[in-house]
Order: sequence, then structure tokens, then C-alpha cells
Amino acid sequence: MTKFFRLVRVGLRVNFGLSLFRPKHLLENKRDIWLIPLILIGIAGLFPVLLYYLKGIRFMYRLLAPLGQQAALLTFAILMGQFLILVFGFYYVLSAFYFSRDLDLLIPLPVTPVQVLLSKFTVVVVNEYLTASPIVVPMLIAYGIHSRAGFRYWVTAVFVYLLLPVIPLAIVSLLVVGMMRFVNFSRKKDALIIIGSLVLMTGALGLQFWLRRMPDAGPGRQVLIQFFNEGGFVQKIGAKFPPSIWATRALAPETAGSEFVHFLLFAGVSALLFGALFFAARAFFYRGLIGLGEVAARRRRLSRERLSAHISSGHRPIRAIFLRELRIMNRTPIFLLNGVLSVILIPIIFILFAKAGGGKSGSDSYRIILLLASSNSAAVILGSALFMTICGCLNGTASSAFSREGAQFWMSKVIPTPPADQVKAKFLHSFAVAFLGILAAAVVAVAAIQADIVLVLISLPIAMAAAAALTALGMIIDLLRPLLKWTNPQKAIKQNLNVLIAFFAAAGILVGLTIAVTALLKRGIRGELVISGLALFLFVLAGLSFAFLLKIAARRYREIET
Amino acid sequence: MIELNDVSKSYNNGRVKAVDALTLTVRPGEIFGFLGPNGAGKTTTIKLIVGLLRPDAGTIRVDGIDNQKEPVAAKAVTTYVPDTPAIYERLTGLEYLNFIGDVYGVPKADRLRRIEKWLDIFELAGAVSSPIQSYSHGMKQKIVLIAALLPAPRVMVLDEPMVGLDPRSAHHMKEMMRTHCDGGGTLFFSTHIMEVAEKLCDRIGIIHNGRLIAHGTLEELRARDREDQSLEKIFLELTER
Repeated sequence: MTKFFRLVRVGLRVNFGLSLFRPKHLLENKRDIWLIPLILIGIAGLFPVLLYYLKGIRFMYRLLAPLGQQAALLTFAILMGQFLILVFGFYYVLSAFYFSRDLDLLIPLPVTPVQVLLSKFTVVVVNEYLTASPIVVPMLIAYGIHSRAGFRYWVTAVFVYLLLPVIPLAIVSLLVVGMMRFVNFSRKKDALIIIGSLVLMTGALGLQFWLRRMPDAGPGRQVLIQFFNEGGFVQKIGAKFPPSIWATRALAPETAGSEFVHFLLFAGVSALLFGALFFAARAFFYRGLIGLGEVAARRRRLSRERLSAHISSGHRPIRAIFLRELRIMNRTPIFLLNGVLSVILIPIIFILFAKAGGGKSGSDSYRIILLLASSNSAAVILGSALFMTICGCLNGTASSAFSREGAQFWMSKVIPTPPADQVKAKFLHSFAVAFLGILAAAVVAVAAIQADIVLVLISLPIAMAAAAALTALGMIIDLLRPLLKWTNPQKAIKQNLNVLIAFFAAAGILVGLTIAVTALLKRGIRGELVISGLALFLFVLAGLSFAFLLKIAARRYREIET
Repeated sequence: MIELNDVSKSYNNGRVKAVDALTLTVRPGEIFGFLGPNGAGKTTTIKLIVGLLRPDAGTIRVDGIDNQKEPVAAKAVTTYVPDTPAIYERLTGLEYLNFIGDVYGVPKADRLRRIEKWLDIFELAGAVSSPIQSYSHGMKQKIVLIAALLPAPRVMVLDEPMVGLDPRSAHHMKEMMRTHCDGGGTLFFSTHIMEVAEKLCDRIGIIHNGRLIAHGTLEELRARDREDQSLEKIFLELTER
């Protein structure tokens, strides 16, 4: 048991040591002081979303309370939280259990497979508290406040939250351990990660699509009531996945005393699945691992002619570094999924969501579609520029440009290429990925929404200027505090705080610009003028941010010690 | 030529002095072996020479170029082999060599000739079109070595280059080191293998607790203790003090 806890402690240290929980790492360098306003902007950017969510909860609570169905809100949040954990858990479980580099160190140690696997499981559980927290925590708190809950509710809420990831993660873990044992994936791990991720993404999309295709029961409140009411959608889904109902009933009992039974059920099933994982670990874990560390490669000697053909006749260093970035990004599954694949998929998902929502959701995605299909030329240009920028820039390519190098950053420090040139090559690569997203968005806008092709083309330079500015901004953030010490590439992009900071900074800029543009148009300023002003502003911003990026390149390359 | 003048480097806000007022000159055509116990400051010194670390004080000149004032020019004449071959695993061996050739500006004809030669010598020709992640530790070490030889640099800095090499490759490596210096190049390397240092090096430096406690030819080191001792004994005596 002591060994298990020690493994968990080490796992947690490795996992969180350089990220969220150690504020001293947020500002490793005193010169990073400028990050504080950026982080504050990011946090401030979260507040409207949180406020919107809390308002929604209050509205729903007041709507459902007279019907006695307010507890369905808890079921909904718990279901959504567990669903998110199920989807994201696949990545975490697969990479933590099978593709993590520390396995080479752990396996020879005198610890059992059960201790290794369960310690890794525990670390993933802790990770998933963060995944589920944005949906579940506000709901648990808001519900407690609205229902004027007593001490018992708050204590139960803490335990329900702590147990929340166990059931979905144990299910995913059992599936993954079984799959790795009985299907021969050894030496094909890259394909496995990509295919698995795409299957899960399709599943998540399918569910979202289905959710939004719910039969229309009339306007507004009636739909919501039907959604949450007894026998409504939430309860139907909850009935198919009873742990969410048990957790709800543990928090909001139907009859006095039943809360204890429901909590026991919830905790009992969690323990049962954890136990099943214990046996699966003992029986299957190490057997599924054998051979995974190896990478298949055919060894063949190249003839002199072929060798000569493959030897480049000398690219300029910028091109060589661009090619290196492109190859490494596209050949590392986690990077590929978060780069090229995501910029192609985001526009499609966006449109699917918006179209599936019909006109009834009033969502932001639907508002953008309305803009794109509008008869107002200025609205189409501004809407498609925003759509293309979002699709091109909301990925972690730029904001992990330096972090992705990890332990190999020493090479960037010793090669005789000026840091400014290296940064230019990285910028070109990140911008190329953004541009691919912009093009995908343009195609989707024209083909799926029938936006005017000429107006979409006019918006293209605006989107490109915005993308250049946001690419430079993301790279500046990553250059100022690169995350180079990682053992799993997932950490460099999916669990990199820089990606999150850049995301919020970009969202803040886009929201600010949207508010400013809307205000100008409402004041009666002509659309052409607003568009020209916006384009000018974005070009200046792009130029300034790129110049700043180049300006700090040499200093930062000197300062970063490897 | 490598010149370190009063170079110091510390970690943890000055609490740990890794290199302390190190002054040293490695002349052109010379193989300089750098010895020291674990944690003595060998790797830190090497990282300071190749520009991976910034000195707290002192100057480092590589081939007459100050590596802090003109870092790119200093890097253009230097290549480096680290103690652990952390290289781009997703590239093939050939893509990696092409990358190095591109950033060092090696012309195609020279590139082809040198790559062919070193791939043959290090028996890596059959693996060069495979991803580096499929290589063994020794193969990775060899591809890093070939990459370091590809630009035909004036100065080579190698950190524990023999680790992971099979005896044949280690033999070729030693021959390469001699040839490089016979052609006027400078070679600075760290090692724990006394026999290699004894047989290969023109001069030897011994670092202990960040300070250069002895340097010179093997004969000069022996003369210090007025006894005909092996390098191993000299090393053990000096680093015990």
C-alpha cells in the first residue's frame, strides 16, 4: 500500500509539478510579469461565461422548482461531467497506461502491475477533476445556494464530486486494458491513437447532434421543461446510466433517508469497478505492454543513386526548420490531432452544431451562420472573417511552438541559425496551419451556408491578418515560458498552460473586437468604413506582434537554458 | 581553438557553484580530454562552450569568436554531441542529417560524400531511411556523431561520446577524433574511460567541484606527483583531496 501511495505521489508530482498547482512556475522569470494582465484578461474572459451559466442555472431552477423537477439539473450536470470524462479519459488513460515514457522506469522496479496501473489511474482521476469542474462545480454550488441546502448536502456534494470520475474512467480503463491485451496494437500505436480519437470524436459529435435534434415541443420554456421534466430527456438518459440518478438522489433525496442508500449505490458501484480494474491490471496490464515500446521499421540499404536523390541540395535554414516543424507536428499523433486535423474538423463541427440546433437554440454558432447567410454585405464579410479566424486559430499549434520541442530544444540552441530566423520558420508553420483552418472555414461557409463567395474572399485578408496577430501572440506566450520538460507529448500541447492562456487571450481579443465593431455599426457608421478600420487595425496588430516576437527571440533563446 | 577565461557558472541563485573561475585553452590540432567525478562540472563546462548555458562571469572564445557576443558565428564553427542522444525521433536518420546539412550550409556534393562515408563506417546505411525512434541507443548515438561530423567543423565538443557505442564503432570514433585534429581541428571531450583519455588525448584536464585542479599532457600530470603513475591513479589521488 505504501508503494502504491508513493507511486501516486510521484505521478502527481510529475503530472502537476510544472503546471497549474505551483504558482512559482507560472512566472519563472521576473520579466514574465507582463503575463499577469494577460492571465487576468483570460480569467476575466471566463467570468461572462460563468455568469451566463450561473444565470442559466438560476433560470432553470426557478422554471423547474414549481414542478418539483429542479433535481434534474444536478442529473444533467453529473451526466455531462461524466460524459466529458468518458471522452477525454480515453486519451489520458491510453497515454498514461501504455504510452507514457516513465513506464520504462516503473516496470523494472519491485512494484506490481496492479500498483503501477492503479497509481496511474489515480493520477488520471485527479486530472479529470479539472475536466469536469467547469460544468459540475458551478452547478453543485448554485443548486446548494438556490435550494438553501444544509450541511449534509455540502458534505455529500464534496464526496459525489470526488467519486464522479471513478465510474466513467474505470469503464474506459477496463475497455482500454482489455483492448490492448487482446488486440495486437503493438507497433501501431500512432494509428491507434488517431483512429481511437476520431471514433470518440465522432461519438461525441453524434450525441451532440442527437441532443440538438430533439423533437421540437414549442417555443422556449416548454422545450426546457420537456427536457428536464419527469420522463424527460435528462431522466431518460439518466435511467440508461443510473449512477447519475443515484448521485442526484444522494444530493436531493425524494424521500427522507433515501439519500444514504443512493450514495451507497453510487460509491459502491465506483468501488466495484475500481475492484474490477484491480483484477484486470493483475491479469492483463503487463501483457498488453509487451512490445509497445518498439517501433517497427524496415531496414533497407539505399543505393548510391537513391541516397543521392534523398539528400537535399541545400535548403535555406528557414525552409529546413519549417520542414522539421511540419514533419514532427504531422507525425506525432497528439500534435496532428490538435493541429491539422482540428483545423479541418472545427468548421465542419461548427456547422453541424449550428445546423442541428436549427433556429431554436439561439447559440453563438447559429448567430454566426445567420450573419454569413445575411443579405447585408458588411455582416457577411465581418461574420465570415470571424468564423474563419475562430476556425484557424483556436488550436494549440502556435502556443506550443517551442514547448513541442521538449528535450530536443538543445538542437535549436546549438545550430548556427539566428533565433529570429528559427522563429520566422516556426511562425510560417503555425500560420500555415491557421491558414488551412481559414480555407476549410471558407469552403464550409460557401458550400454549406451558401455565403456569397466574393464576400468570403473579401473577408479572407481580414481573417489572415487576425490569424497572423493571434499566431504571433500564441508564440510570444510560449516563447516567454516554454514547457520543455515533458515525458508525454500530450503535456506539450493538451496540458500546456500556454495553450490555455493563448486561447483566452485570443478569445478576449475576438470578443473585444466583436463588441467594438457591433457598437460602431449600431452608431450608424458605414459598414465599409468599419471593415476598413478593422482590417487596418488587424494588419497593424499583426505587424506589431510579429515584430515583438522577433525582437524577443534572440534574448529568449539565450535565456532558456537546457 | 577553445579559450575559457575565468568562467564561472552557478545554479540555484548562486548556491551551487558548478564551474568556478575556469581558465583553459585548447589549441588547434589538439584532442583535449576532460575528466572529473560525477557532478564535477564537466557537462556544465561543455554546455557553456557550445552556448547551451550562459556563464555568470568570464568569456569563452571558440576559434577566436566570443560565443556570447557572436553566438551564431561561434556555432557555425562548432558541433556538439550531448551525453544523451535526445534527437528528433519522428524524423528519419536521413531527414535529420539533411536538416543539419541545411542549417550548417553544407553543399550537396560534400554532404553526399560525407554521409556515405560515415554511414558506412558506423554501419548505419541500412537504417538511415527509418525513423530515428526505431533506433537503438547506440544507433542514435551514431547518427548524432555523423551529424556532428557532417559540417566538417573546426571545433568538436563531445560529452561522453563512447557511451553506447559498440567496440568497432568506438574504435572508428577514436580514429575519427585523431584525423579531425591532425587536419587542424580542435576536439574537446569528456570521458570516464581513463584508458581512452590516456591513449588518445594530447592534453588532459581534471575538474573537481567546479575547479580545474590539474591540466597538461599525461607526462606533465605524472611529473606533478614525481611518480610513474597511471592516469587512473593520478585521477583518484587528485579527486580525493
